Amino acid sequence: MASATVLARPELTRESVSAAPQMPDVLPPVKARKGFIGFLRRNPTIAVGGGLLLIMLAIAVFAPLLWTVDPTALAPARRTREPSAMYWFGTDMLGRDVYSRVLYGARVSLLVGFSVAILSSVIGLAIGMVSGFIRWADSIVMRIMDGLMSIPPILLAIALMALTRGSVQNVIIAITIAEIPRVSRLVRGVVLSLREQPYVDAAVAAGTRTPVIIWRHILPNTLAPITVQATYICASAMIVEAILSFIGAGTPPIIPSWGNIMAEGRALWQVKPYIVFFPAIFLSITVLAVNLLGDGLRDALDPRMAKRL
Amino acid sequence: MALPGPRSGQPLLEVENLQTHFRTKDGVNRAVDGVSFHVNAGETVAIVGESGCGKSVTSMSILRLIPEPPGKIAGAIRFQGKDLLKLSDREMRQIRGNEISMIFQEPMTSLNPVLTVGRQIGETLRLHQGLSAREAEQKAIEMLTLVGIPEPARRVREYPHQLSGGMRQRVMIAIALACNPKLLIADEPTTALDVTIQAQILELMRDLKHRVGAAIVLITHDLGVVAEVAERVIVMYAGRKVEEAEVGPLFRTPRHPYTQGLLGSMPKLGSSLHGEETRLAEIPGLVPSLKAKIPGCVFATRCPHTTDLCRQVAPALEEKAPGHVAACHYALKEEALAA
Amino acid sequence: MFAYVVRRILATIPVMAIVALFVFSLLYIAPGDPAAVIAGDQATPQDVERIRASLGLDRPFLVRFGEWVFRILQGDLGVSIFTNLPVTTMIQQRLEPTFSLMILTLCLAVTIAVPMGVVAAWKQGTLIDRAVMGFAVMGFSVPVFVVGYLLAYVFALELDWLPVQGYTAFSNGLWPWLENLILPAIALGGVYIALIARITRATMLEVLQQDYIRTARAKGAGQRSILFLHALKNAAVPIVTVIGIGVALLIGGAVVTESVFAIPGLGRLTVDAILRRDYPVIQGVILLFSFIYVIVNLAIDLMYTLFDPRIRY
Repeated sequence: MASATVLARPELTRESVSAAPQMPDVLPPVKARKGFIGFLRRNPTIAVGGGLLLIMLAIAVFAPLLWTVDPTALAPARRTREPSAMYWFGTDMLGRDVYSRVLYGARVSLLVGFSVAILSSVIGLAIGMVSGFIRWADSIVMRIMDGLMSIPPILLAIALMALTRGSVQNVIIAITIAEIPRVSRLVRGVVLSLREQPYVDAAVAAGTRTPVIIWRHILPNTLAPITVQATYICASAMIVEAILSFIGAGTPPIIPSWGNIMAEGRALWQVKPYIVFFPAIFLSITVLAVNLLGDGLRDALDPRMAKRL
Repeated sequence: MALPGPRSGQPLLEVENLQTHFRTKDGVNRAVDGVSFHVNAGETVAIVGESGCGKSVTSMSILRLIPEPPGKIAGAIRFQGKDLLKLSDREMRQIRGNEISMIFQEPMTSLNPVLTVGRQIGETLRLHQGLSAREAEQKAIEMLTLVGIPEPARRVREYPHQLSGGMRQRVMIAIALACNPKLLIADEPTTALDVTIQAQILELMRDLKHRVGAAIVLITHDLGVVAEVAERVIVMYAGRKVEEAEVGPLFRTPRHPYTQGLLGSMPKLGSSLHGEETRLAEIPGLVPSLKAKIPGCVFATRCPHTTDLCRQVAPALEEKAPGHVAACHYALKEEALAA
Repeated sequence: MFAYVVRRILATIPVMAIVALFVFSLLYIAPGDPAAVIAGDQATPQDVERIRASLGLDRPFLVRFGEWVFRILQGDLGVSIFTNLPVTTMIQQRLEPTFSLMILTLCLAVTIAVPMGVVAAWKQGTLIDRAVMGFAVMGFSVPVFVVGYLLAYVFALELDWLPVQGYTAFSNGLWPWLENLILPAIALGGVYIALIARITRATMLEVLQQDYIRTARAKGAGQRSILFLHALKNAAVPIVTVIGIGVALLIGGAVVTESVFAIPGLGRLTVDAILRRDYPVIQGVILLFSFIYVIVNLAIDLMYTLFDPRIRY
């Protein structure tokens, strides 16, 4: 029989048998990096985006300490000075120091960005959960969301702002309303797909109450996509705030926001481009930082989503 | 090295020390590590082994279908004397689908869902024989007739989703044979099909092989299929060739413990030779990780006869009988067996 | 097929109804007296009364909504508070520049972004791929008006190749028309290109993993044929969907781009209406843009069957 061909033969030694030739390495060995530094090296976008965002946060928080003057102080005698050792970013047409205004402007952008991200995530999460779990509510809520989603978000925010007096609070509310439909759709999609999962079925079959199922099974699984979505919302909210302020329907002009500084520099931009470009650079870098962070988080947290986008 | 030599002159395909490695996040996966074999013109050679043994990677490496990076193919693959690994992409494309063609395991996903069947068969002809669109469609209809698809003139304008699994595999065979290749590589061509369809497809392949005269490399884990169609068998384990023989000797006297295990785990009809209940043997344990270098025999972790020697020294492939090689220190040679 | 088209068209009615209801009720969502809000801070009580009467704010909500919808269906979007012109007329006067800008941007973006995404997917992980992805993240991060000013500064002010701002009607010739739109179209196209390039790359990466791509390679098909025939056609549905969704970005961006380049289009009309709180105009423009958006996406839905024979209605 087959196994008879193989017998233990004690006389075999290393020397008496022929060894297979060693195969060479075709590819260089791969080094696996570990720990926090390893994480950052594997996710350079998180490192760069997070780093830049931290710098911007520090600028916003410590603006008064960073050699700034009162950003609203008028000095008609020193209008539209070019950037110099005295006025690092120059002065605007009212003689205000652009450097100080830009640094303080970080506060408005970041406030709006973070507030909108948090508010629309929380509200969108609630709406998405409700429509993912309650059939009759789903059709109504989703019709409304479809309607809101067919209004381009910037127009929706503009329309809302047109009716209210400009204030940072109203800007946050308007952009939040414009962002909610997308988050709700995302959450609903995740909830519906999770409800199909066998372990959720099992929990339902075992008589687990719906709030417990949501808390234990659904919520933890929506957190990763929501976090990623929230960073993108933060980035887009900062842009929308700047757009609103730029066209005069956003933050009131007395508050130095990047959009406002650019709006004021518009009239002079062909002769004094620096008034527009300094806030533009800060805005772009901040939004870039948040977007990079979002991309990095997406790759790190949710490989499935990373494949899709 | 003692390899069964080609019967006459130069073999059609000669694979020498093939290594196909992949770069992954946590190390280099040595999916195929030093495999050598040859295929003569018109011959059917089967490569068998469990999933993950490197048999599919071997077949894909022959046509250089491994994406590089993250993969890397080394060694030599000589087809009619030319080393395929040294060809330019352009030269390689002229071989693919023309002189060497391939049939894949999943007929459901291997056809392009947005192109008509006729276009997909015709593409090969247009690429390699310079046919016009109209000529290619005519030839596609002929090919569909050849592989036994009814109403070919209608089917040629249909999309894959309108065909059953068996029909799609017939279309794949039509694509593969359209240019009369000298070598056909069939990677688990029947695995995804119903048993009755499997038999039909195998029958078709055997029939067409005689008509076209192509050599076949059949990749499978199904020893039943091997016994039915192959002339010579290569057994692979963990990216290495562990045994090779003509189909008769291999089934009759398997030398490598892994091959013995494979044959033991195969159900046989009316196999109760000794009148007692025969149990289906299984091979315990798991295939070792291919990311670490294994100093000794790759099968040592699962082999019932493992000794310290096995764990320390990787056995070379040795000719245990004429035309029968195995990589096992303890597999006896013919004369010892006779004695 | 026909039944499906009819069903899809009917399905847009509730969506548009919700848009209309939302646009109409905006005035009442806002805190305070809508007439006073519209009239602005310097208005006299008479102004407020006049606006109240002209909007019919003294009658029940649903009655007014019904009347309003009825009039819109007849093509009457009301009368501007500021100019006293019919909103329909004002919109008609502004249609050409906006449509020119949006259509040019759309064509430009699709012809640039799709090949970009395809090449990035093909060369995944290489420098080219990283450059495309870097460009995409920049496109998402640099606001339209910043790009606009930068382009205008470099190509109009410094190099003097193209006009700084303005618009010339198409009837004045192709080049004068195009000359004024090139910079705005590139500025507006940034985000859109980024969006399309990213989805193209992602979808192509997925498609290139598929078994049928391996089959095509095994047949000896060339790289170009694999990318653009075998893969891109399979990736078409998600890409086309995103092109449709992205029209929202174009509309929002057009409002800003027209301000930067002084293009007398619907975007400018919107901005002016907001600054003057000319509410009938704002409502009209939002309704129109939303309608366009819904129709574009409906058309794209119906186009799926062209790209994928498995989709049958």
